[in-house]
Amino acid sequence: MNTASPKHAKNAEAFLRDEENTDWHNETLWFVRSKRDRAAQSLPEWEELREQASQIKAHALSKLDDYLIQLEENARKNGIIVHWAANADEHNQIVLDIMRKHKATKIVKSKSMLTEECHLNPFLIKQGIEVIDTDLGERIIQLRNEPPSHIVMPAIHLKKKHIGDLFHLHLGTDAGADDPQYLTEAARIHLRQKFLLADLAITGVNFAIAETGGFVVCTNEGNADLGAHLAKVHIACMGIEKVIPKAEHLGVFLRLLARSATGQAVTTYSSHFRKPAPGQEMHLVLVDNGRTRQLASPDFRNSLKCIRCGACMNTCPVYRRSGGHSYHTAVAGPIGSILAPNIDMKEYADLPFASTLCGSCTNVCPVKIDIHQQLYKWRQVLGEAGVVEPAKKVGMSGMDVLFSRPWLYRFAGRAGRWLMQTFPTLANKASLNPWAIHRDMPKPPEQSFRDWYAQQNKKTNG
Amino acid sequence: MAEPTTRDTILAAIRQGKPDLLPLPATIGFPPNISAENLVESFMTMVKTNGGQAIRVASLAEARAFLAEDYDLTLPVLSHVEGLDISNFTPAEELRLLDTLHLFVLEGKVGVAENAAVWVDEAAIGIRALPFITLNLSIVLSEKNLVGNMHEAYRLIDTSTGFGTFIAGPSKTADIEQSLVIGAHGSKTLTVFLLP
Ligand code: SF4
Repeated sequence: MNTASPKHAKNAEAFLRDEENTDWHNETLWFVRSKRDRAAQSLPEWEELREQASQIKAHALSKLDDYLIQLEENARKNGIIVHWAANADEHNQIVLDIMRKHKATKIVKSKSMLTEECHLNPFLIKQGIEVIDTDLGERIIQLRNEPPSHIVMPAIHLKKKHIGDLFHLHLGTDAGADDPQYLTEAARIHLRQKFLLADLAITGVNFAIAETGGFVVCTNEGNADLGAHLAKVHIACMGIEKVIPKAEHLGVFLRLLARSATGQAVTTYSSHFRKPAPGQEMHLVLVDNGRTRQLASPDFRNSLKCIRCGACMNTCPVYRRSGGHSYHTAVAGPIGSILAPNIDMKEYADLPFASTLCGSCTNVCPVKIDIHQQLYKWRQVLGEAGVVEPAKKVGMSGMDVLFSRPWLYRFAGRAGRWLMQTFPTLANKASLNPWAIHRDMPKPPEQSFRDWYAQQNKKTNG
Repeated sequence: MAEPTTRDTILAAIRQGKPDLLPLPATIGFPPNISAENLVESFMTMVKTNGGQAIRVASLAEARAFLAEDYDLTLPVLSHVEGLDISNFTPAEELRLLDTLHLFVLEGKVGVAENAAVWVDEAAIGIRALPFITLNLSIVLSEKNLVGNMHEAYRLIDTSTGFGTFIAGPSKTADIEQSLVIGAHGSKTLTVFLLP
C-alpha cells in the first residue's frame, strides 16, 4: 500500500527537543490567544458579527462566478490589468512576464501567503531576480532561508537572540545585540533602501470587492503601501475566494480580522486600492490552484471562507507545541491541515491527524468554519483513499471495533485498569505505547465511571 | 473552435461546483456601542492604545503650536491642510526624493471611535506614498466627523476614489519575540488633532 509518512510527528519531535523554546512558543501563542479573547469580549455583538461574516462569505461563494466577473469588469474599468491563473505555475509565469515586460530586476514583496503557496520566491530567484520580502518577520526568515511558520507571525518560532545573530551576519548590527527596538530600526534602514530602489512591488490581497473593482490590503508595518506606492508597477495576487460583494461588507470583516489575529482593534493600515496612481501600472492576478476543487466538495468548501487571521493556530494545542514548520506546508495549523490535502492528498495525509479535535479552532474562527469537523472528515476520506499511515489505521479500526461493542468496551476498561495497576511501567513504555513518548500515563482510577455511577445510584435510591 | 482560456475553465469549474444560492444576511452591521457623547473620549483612548497621541484643539493655530513644540519645523515639512501653512517642502516627481520628508500633515475624513482608525483618501493625500514614507504623520480631524464603528464609517466614506486608507496609529511590528516596536516601515509617530 502507498502510504504517507508521519512527517508532522517527526518534525514535531525535532521541535520538541528544545524544551525551553517549546514552552516559550506555547506560552507566547497562548498570550496572543488571550489578547484575542479580550478583544472579542469588548464587542457584545461578537458572536453575531461572526455569523454575519460567515453568511457573507457563504453567499459570496455561492455566487463566486458572478462576483469574479463583476470584480474583473470593474477593475478593468478602473484601469487595473486582470489576469487569471489556474495553478501555481501559471501564477508564477504571469508575474515573471510582467517583470520581463518592464525589465524589472529588483522587486519588493509584502507578505502574501498565496505567493508562498505558489513558491514564487524560489521561482523568481532562479530567473536572476532580486526578491525582497519586506514584512519584518518575512525578511527574517528569508535571510534564514526558511518558510514562514505562522501566517500572521512568520518568525514566531525564533527568539530575539537568533535574530540578533542573523542581523549581525547580514545587516552588520552589533554582535550579541538582541534588543527588538534596535533590531527593528536596523531592518527599517536596510529595507528603506530596498523600497526606494525596487522596480516592482508584489502584495497579497485581504479582500477584493466586486462592487468597486478594488481590493484591500491590511498591514501593521505599512510595507505593502510603501512598496506599492513607490514602485512603477504593482502586482496584487489573490486566491479567487477573496472576493466579497460590497464595500459595506468590509465593515464586518475589518472588525473581526485584527481582533482575531492579534487582539488589536484594527490593523494600522487598511488600504483600499482601486485605480493605479498616475504614471503607474496595477495588475490583479486571480488564482485558482485547487480552490474550485475545494468549492465542489460540500464537506470542505467552508474552508474557503478563511480570512487568514491565524486565530485557529494560536489556540491549537498541537500547533502551539509542535511549531509551524512541523506542518511542512505554506499554511500551517488547523486550517492549513484542511487546505493542504486538497492540493496533494498523499503528501499531506498526516496533517488532519495533527489535531486533538478539541474544537478550540472552530470556537475562535471569525468566519465560523467548522474546522475540527472538517479535520475529522478528512481522516475518513484519507482512510478510504488508502493514504493513511498503517499504525493510525489499525488504531482507528481498533477503536471502531471497541466503541461499537459496549460489552467489549467495558471488559477492555476493566482489563486495562488491572493491567496498568499491576504493571504501571508497561503503559509508560514508549516501545509498547507510542503515546507515552514525552508523556506519562495517568494513574488509572480504582473504579470505572460506570461502576461508580451504579454505586451512587444504589446509595441514593436505595 | 478556440481553446478555452484559463478564465473560462475557472469560471466553468465554479459553476459546476458551487453550492445553491445562499442569501446575504438581512442586515449588515450593528449599531455602535459608544454613545454620541463618548465618541471623543473613546477615540482619544484608542489613539493612545494604538501608539499615537490625540490632542483636542480649538483651532488650527493651536495645532500648529503643538507641532512646533514637538517637531523641528525647519526640517522638510509638508501640510495639505488648508489654513495650516507650515510647508517648506515641494515633492519632486521622483518618488525616491520623498524619503527626506520629516513631517506630513493631512486632513482625515472620518474617525472611528471604536478603533481610532481615520479614513484618508486620495484627495487629501495627494501623492499616495506620502503618509507612509514620512517619518512623522499628523492628521487633523473634526470632532463632527467621528462615528462609533466601522459600519457607520463605510456609510460615510467614498469608496470610489482611486486610493484611500484607514490609518490607526504609527507603523508598528511585533515580529521579534512579540515585543511591540513602534516605527516599522511607515511613520514613527502619529498625532491626531481633534478640532471642534
Ligand atoms: S480558519 Fe478561521 S481562525 Fe483559522 S485562519 Fe482562517 S479565518 Fe482565521
